[in-house]
Amino acid sequence: MSRSVRVAGTLVEGGENIGLHRFALFTVCCTAFLIFVGGLVTSTESGLSVPDWPTTYGWNMFAFPVSKWVGGIFYEHSHRLVASFVGFLTVILAFWTWISEKRNGVRWLAMGALGAVVSQGILGGLTVKLMLPTSVSMAHACLAQTFFCLVISLAQFTSPQWKQGLPIAHSPANNSSTVSLPVLCSLTTAAVYVQLLLGAWMRHSDAGLAIRDFPLSLGRLIPHFTSRNIAIHFSHRVGALLVAIMITWTFLRIRSAYRKHDLLRKPATVLVTLLCLQLTLGASTVWSGKAVLIATAHVATGALVLGTSVLLTLRAWGMVPARDDAKTSTREAAAWR
Amino acid sequence: MRKLSLLLCSLMLLALGACSSSDTNKIPDGPTGSDAGGGDAPPAATASISGKISFEGEVPKPEKLQTSADPNCMKALTTETTVSKDGGLGNVFIYVSGGFEGKTFAPPSTPVELNQVDCHYVPHAIVVSVGQTLNVRNSDMTLHNIHAQTANNAALNVGQPVPMVTPHVFEKKEILLPVKCDVHKWMGAFIAVVDNPFATISAEDGKYELKLPAGKFQITAIHEKYGMQTMMVEVKDGDKTPMNFTFKASDAKTGD
Repeated sequence: MSRSVRVAGTLVEGGENIGLHRFALFTVCCTAFLIFVGGLVTSTESGLSVPDWPTTYGWNMFAFPVSKWVGGIFYEHSHRLVASFVGFLTVILAFWTWISEKRNGVRWLAMGALGAVVSQGILGGLTVKLMLPTSVSMAHACLAQTFFCLVISLAQFTSPQWKQGLPIAHSPANNSSTVSLPVLCSLTTAAVYVQLLLGAWMRHSDAGLAIRDFPLSLGRLIPHFTSRNIAIHFSHRVGALLVAIMITWTFLRIRSAYRKHDLLRKPATVLVTLLCLQLTLGASTVWSGKAVLIATAHVATGALVLGTSVLLTLRAWGMVPARDDAKTSTREAAAWR
Repeated sequence: MRKLSLLLCSLMLLALGACSSSDTNKIPDGPTGSDAGGGDAPPAATASISGKISFEGEVPKPEKLQTSADPNCMKALTTETTVSKDGGLGNVFIYVSGGFEGKTFAPPSTPVELNQVDCHYVPHAIVVSVGQTLNVRNSDMTLHNIHAQTANNAALNVGQPVPMVTPHVFEKKEILLPVKCDVHKWMGAFIAVVDNPFATISAEDGKYELKLPAGKFQITAIHEKYGMQTMMVEVKDGDKTPMNFTFKASDAKTGD
């Protein structure tokens, strides 16, 4: 089945190309795993255990003997190999999309993902060469999340469901909200992204245990800001509160106004579940004194929260008409799409 | 699709080529000279101070280290932050921190060596002069990286994939300079990069002797965990002046 859809301002005939979609999904999964492995490198403080780049102790990184993957090298070298694999997948994804896609917006999005993964590789090398300066490490962490969002978007745009046209989702006639669902979802995604920036700042400034108690902060609701690291750490806690409010608001809105739409309700439910898990992991990271697996799971779950929020945002923009009121006919809404 | 496959294969080959090293396993040579830097010959040491670095309080018990991350490091190791015997404290740096202002000394021509044996630094504390060659040796059949966490000197992080020696010269005074191996988290050593050759390290029982020229000096004793103390001393030719320091367990720095 194929029909006309408008994506990124271009009206084209959409083919289903399920292979490309599945490949994009596979790239999404590998990227999530890569973020977990990257988190392990930071949690185990192994970032400098391989001092050279792109070689590994002088070897071609793909020929580095397995017997030498010891101690911190295991984490850093594994990260490099998984990253190379994701880079390779992205090259295929980008060129496959460029050749087989007719929608210009999607084609250029794929090229954007390719550019991002190349930049990410270079940033990874710089973190080693410059010996983990906070700014470069932060940029590396944030670009990872951005790349994750890009491949999730590609997976969504190449899905048959998107190409065939998402169902229109009207809010009830008595809806009195001043903020539309697409805008609300976008704000939530922005809040999650900023929170991930703060998390990266905290992690790479070694401020993860600047405040060692939770839910209080150094025995108070608001701690004395006697050091920069306490301020960085506390900002991440405040960010968590704001993100929790935004996600809960989004979830309640969908639950009350769009509950019949599985494409919105399911990711919203996943999002709020991930939020609960993420808050538990955040608290556990402090209580456990940054136990490696807990801290790493906190990083990976943060990425999943962002990814789910991006997916929900895309669907909200795709399903909810810009001027959503009960009088808007399905035909008008279809025309908007 | 065939063109696409060809293009991808070409890209892979290019990537492999870019990642390969033309001279595998070879670590770039470090500085070879041990006579870097100028300066005067140091004055003859005709006097000395000596004594004991005492330790008050409960000595932390060495903890067994978890070394299973590398099968080559299975020899039982314990923490050595506090080395104490007979009420003394080892690994304390004692050096002249004042009295040579405006003077620059030629570095000793003999290199000093920091060895890595059984995934463990030997010695744990070492003194090196500015401009003097420090040879870092890997005596293990495993990989180490030498990561000096410099503040004043240029960054240093070099890999040692095989048993080998890596020479290095520090250009600036730096006390204390932690050295670690990121491959084996438990490995840690401390270097005092001094700008005069009058420095020593206390033995396990806290005893030390520091040879000095005649003159008035500020002497500093510093330990990686228990902080720093200073005293003034004036010595004449042939003097053997006693000087004792006391460090307390309660002064221990707490980690993050």
